Amino acid sequence: MRALIYLTRRSLINNLKKAVRKPTTLIALIFAVLYVIFMATSLGSLAVSIRLDSVRGLVIIATLWTIYITLGNFMAYSSRKGVIFRPAHAHFVFTAPISPKLVLVSSAWMNYLTSAAVWTVLSIGGLTVFQVPAWKVLLFFLVGCVFEVTVELCIMVFLYTNDRLPEKLMGGIRAGIKVFLVAFTLAIVLYFRENGLSVESASAFIDWPVLRMIPVIGWQVAVYRLILLGPTTLNLICTVLYLASAGIFITAVFRMKCDGGYYEEAAKFADDYAEIRQRKKNGEMILSMNEKKRRFRRVKDKITAKGAKAIFYRQLLEYKKERFFIFSKVTLICVIVAVVCSYSLREAVNETGVPEFFLLGIVAYISLIMSGYLGKWESELKNPYLFLIPDSSLKKLWYATAMEHIKALADGCIICIPIGIFWHVRPIYIVFCILTYVIIQADRLYTKVIAQSLLGNVFGKTGQDLLRMVIQITLLGLGATAAVLAGIFVNPQLVFPIVLAYCMLITVGMAILASLRFETMEQLV
Amino acid sequence: MLEIQGLSKSYGKNLAVDNVSFTVPDGRVGILLGPNGAGKSTIIKSIAGLLRYRGAIRIEGIPSRNIEAKRIFAYVPEIPSMFDALTVREHVEYIRMAYGSSISDEEVEELLKEFEMEDKQDKLGNELSKGMMQKVSICCALAVKPKVILLDEPMVGLDPAAIKTLKEVVLKLRDQGVTVLISTHMLEMVEELWDIMFVMEKGHIIGSYNREDAQGKDLDELFFEMTGGEK
Repeated sequence: MRALIYLTRRSLINNLKKAVRKPTTLIALIFAVLYVIFMATSLGSLAVSIRLDSVRGLVIIATLWTIYITLGNFMAYSSRKGVIFRPAHAHFVFTAPISPKLVLVSSAWMNYLTSAAVWTVLSIGGLTVFQVPAWKVLLFFLVGCVFEVTVELCIMVFLYTNDRLPEKLMGGIRAGIKVFLVAFTLAIVLYFRENGLSVESASAFIDWPVLRMIPVIGWQVAVYRLILLGPTTLNLICTVLYLASAGIFITAVFRMKCDGGYYEEAAKFADDYAEIRQRKKNGEMILSMNEKKRRFRRVKDKITAKGAKAIFYRQLLEYKKERFFIFSKVTLICVIVAVVCSYSLREAVNETGVPEFFLLGIVAYISLIMSGYLGKWESELKNPYLFLIPDSSLKKLWYATAMEHIKALADGCIICIPIGIFWHVRPIYIVFCILTYVIIQADRLYTKVIAQSLLGNVFGKTGQDLLRMVIQITLLGLGATAAVLAGIFVNPQLVFPIVLAYCMLITVGMAILASLRFETMEQLV
Repeated sequence: MLEIQGLSKSYGKNLAVDNVSFTVPDGRVGILLGPNGAGKSTIIKSIAGLLRYRGAIRIEGIPSRNIEAKRIFAYVPEIPSMFDALTVREHVEYIRMAYGSSISDEEVEELLKEFEMEDKQDKLGNELSKGMMQKVSICCALAVKPKVILLDEPMVGLDPAAIKTLKEVVLKLRDQGVTVLISTHMLEMVEELWDIMFVMEKGHIIGSYNREDAQGKDLDELFFEMTGGEK
């Protein structure tokens, strides 16, 4: 145990020292604190506005949190993915003479910290927004932080270290929980749609006695109700059951044998987690830990192109091997944007009589804001062969990014054509919007290369993206202003060609600047 | 002594290691050889306690998953993974605590000096090159003062000086009665080290040799004789 405490303590101290030396961490910390304050005050105001600012409001929130977090944890722990391990754990901790149970319990400190943070926020809310007496809040906090965390810990140890439960059974339980959570969420949505979102309707839903009869989760809710609302027969019985079950869990966990069988899954998780972190760091869009390894199709094709052109044809071959060719998660987002905008904004936009301007606005917004657009071009700069190809840097830049322009064209069509048809936009303006989308996306790529060159890794990917956005918005904003002025004072029809021509001019300029980055690899910071 | 008895391991329906048994006696250096995909890594990871398996693995007669067995066992994985926020010295310090090792500060200094890491003691895990990580990994394993040590491709990424040091260390360990098992592809690197060799293919041990029975043949000669390949 002493060794594990030493490991955590030293890591924490060294990380803090490193953070103090890095300006980005400080900036991120300030932003995070401001964001938390903003979120807390917004949620407080929301609670007041929907008249949830009473003891019953806190009961509702604590009930929903308990149901979701307990079931979510159960799912994660049953697949042995709920505790974050690093490859270094497999190397230095799993092989060390330390009890595997102790390794598990100590490695889950982040989970306890999250729970403690949530119960702290809820308790502060209890005192300030929900007007709960201080002694009740204290009790509520203790039960949340001590009992709930203890039960969570017991469930975690039981599920991680129990090799006797067959994997099929665990899989079945996981599927059951998923179905329950989806059904429960659906029931909540339907219920509030029927009865409206108010403290009365929420209370009526949460007061449903069956909810408290669900073993462990429901009993836990009963404890909070006992503290906050006072005793009822059901609350008292369920509280006793909860305390008894907690006692049984603790005894079972102490008595359970564990020789480290879970290390196999934990080591695999550590490798997967490290890989996903690396992919995220490289700017790839990863939505879940469960994303399977990519499988490629078999394609018989030859690259016959020469010089920089070979980069494009190599990328084409790679995309042909992908399951969905050039279509990715971004395409899916484009489809969702198209569907949502086509239906939901149709009437409002048509009433204005200028739907083409709204379409242009959507195109500009999406292409400037969406940053998780990692294509194969970004990995080109990390490939030394790029710099060895005997061709001009401008050509290399063009062929390394040409496929991205084709992808942007496809995405632009997916967004603009359906929205354009639904909003009755004239075809010529749809074409203008698609071309503008492609050009702004191209500009985004080239500006990103420049931002990378200017900042290096000092401010990380987020810093690079922020600088990219500032440069783009400033430069393209000037053109947009000029186009709007021309539209107002000369002819509204001029807006589209001016925007397109100006964006193209800026993009070409950016491309020439960015091509310098393709000269030598040394520029990679 | 390291004993492997009837070790089998499957990944889904794929049987990676099938009923493998072998023993490396006290104070001997065993070499585990075999082409890629033969099952060496699976055996190594099973011995290190990182996989579930069928069969028995004993370290000095104690089941390998037992805490007492782990206390006298050291492992150098093929790919070292450092704690990002721990310095080189802190890695060794952690090992000293975790294993309750009797290694003194002077011995740690000596060890780090031997592998030319004495001036890199304050470097963090994420500031090290692959070769340096491998050196730290070896130093940590030696800081355990083990009775059985397992080295998986230990020479990969090391500079010539470190390879020479490592060879000397292995011979010194052998002289001290420590059991050593090395898994490697670099036959010429372990030529002067081995006492007993095991050759694996498709999840089985297809042959083994003691140095005394090898009649002066080279390691690669013996290996290709068994696997049917050409030298």
